[in-house]
Amino acid sequence: MQKPRMRGVVKVKAIGAALAVLAALCAMFATTASAAPAWKFNGTALEGTETILGGAEKSGLTMWGFTTTCDNFLYEVDIKNEAGTGKGNITSLPLFGCYTNSTCTVEAIEAESFPWPSELKTVSSSNYLVVKGVDVWVLYGGWFCPLWGVWAHVTGTAGGLIDNTTESATFSSASFKATGTSLKSLGETVEWNGVFPTEAFEWHRGESISVS
Amino acid sequence: MAQRRVDQRLLAKPARTTSAGAILALVAVALLLAGCGGGSSDDSATSGSSTATSGSTGPGASDSSDTSTTAASSGDTAGADASAPPAKGSAGGGSAAGDEQPHSGAKQGPSVPQPKGEPEPGITPEQRREATVASMTLQSPSSRPSSAGPQALPAEYTCDGKNTSPALSWQGVPPGTAELALLVMNIQPVEGRLFFDWAVGGLSPELEEIEAGKLPKGAVVGRNSFGKTGYGICPAGSGETYMFTVFALPKKLSPSQGFDPVAFRRAVLEASGNAGLLALSYLR
Repeated sequence: MQKPRMRGVVKVKAIGAALAVLAALCAMFATTASAAPAWKFNGTALEGTETILGGAEKSGLTMWGFTTTCDNFLYEVDIKNEAGTGKGNITSLPLFGCYTNSTCTVEAIEAESFPWPSELKTVSSSNYLVVKGVDVWVLYGGWFCPLWGVWAHVTGTAGGLIDNTTESATFSSASFKATGTSLKSLGETVEWNGVFPTEAFEWHRGESISVS
Repeated sequence: MAQRRVDQRLLAKPARTTSAGAILALVAVALLLAGCGGGSSDDSATSGSSTATSGSTGPGASDSSDTSTTAASSGDTAGADASAPPAKGSAGGGSAAGDEQPHSGAKQGPSVPQPKGEPEPGITPEQRREATVASMTLQSPSSRPSSAGPQALPAEYTCDGKNTSPALSWQGVPPGTAELALLVMNIQPVEGRLFFDWAVGGLSPELEEIEAGKLPKGAVVGRNSFGKTGYGICPAGSGETYMFTVFALPKKLSPSQGFDPVAFRRAVLEASGNAGLLALSYLR
């Protein structure tokens, strides 16, 4: 009579210990996972994929002593959460109304080699969108432009600071420094400045977007 | 901490009889409490905006209180269908802010500004053919790093010093190059005209560097905008940025000493397919 009962208690204790170990492991895993920032809509982690659009008024690339500004600088990103971390692919980068603060005109500007892989990263408790594989070509014109007829190539990686309050990403020299990223054109460092409000355009259209 | 409480509770009251279902239920509870419910645990409490929005409105709720979204979205009725995904937003197609599709939800931040006009044109095949590709690397061992903007040109390479040319080096001369040319111009025009500081032709394609203050044999120097045949950098004001460009030419231009830099530049741009660029700034 007693033997089966003891066996039952041992069994329950064993199960309990196993659960404790499992729970501890899960908690460790959960802690690790929560450190990686994820895409959220209305405070809930994104499941599946979504398309978001970031767009800035007056965003500029500064290189070779002058700035090439575009009145509207957009990027479209297909995003998802992968193992708890926000990922994405930039699929297009249309630019509107581009000009420089020098004598150079922008004859053509084109982003290439899509998709550009991107991911969310936390640095010193701030969240960043890090875009890899940036590939932009600019053809400058104008007789008074020292770069007349020169087709310049901007490549590298760009990190933008995410602000959940304004639902935007800000690219600046500070965000590049924080993320250890840089854009280059022929060895020259290129600065990219711009504040990009962000919106979802598929299932989460109109919802609050955040990263945490 | 959470798993310790779970452990204590589970171990303190062992069930006398445990069925498989009960064990499974316990496992499920333990996993949920320990945070195994998903890779990204919801720590949105630290995110003011997301917490506020998720607490007040959920997906599909009215956005009538949302005054920060676009005029189109806030002006539409809240009962609009948000269950079906709209057509994928084409950035170039103007479906950004002000989209006609009603929004539901609780977007708080500013909307993506509506672009005006058409996107900038991409590079046409003709432009691609005719353009001078900045594919070479040009550096100056004489320059100094700058905290922001272009590298600094030391004073000795200007009229505030000896006004000798800085050392330059380059890589990436494409095969088939017959000659190299070098142009140095002010980034900004001076008194409405393009300002040439240095124009050099007849450089050997095998050449990979020029020493400071020297030119290799065979180099032909043009007239600069000061009216002299040679190098000269002398800003009128507090400083200026200069564009150094080395061009790879597939054919020899064979300029004469003291050549006109304007005509030379035109010929160089028509002929060259590749170039290396370097901006240097001098501040007094």
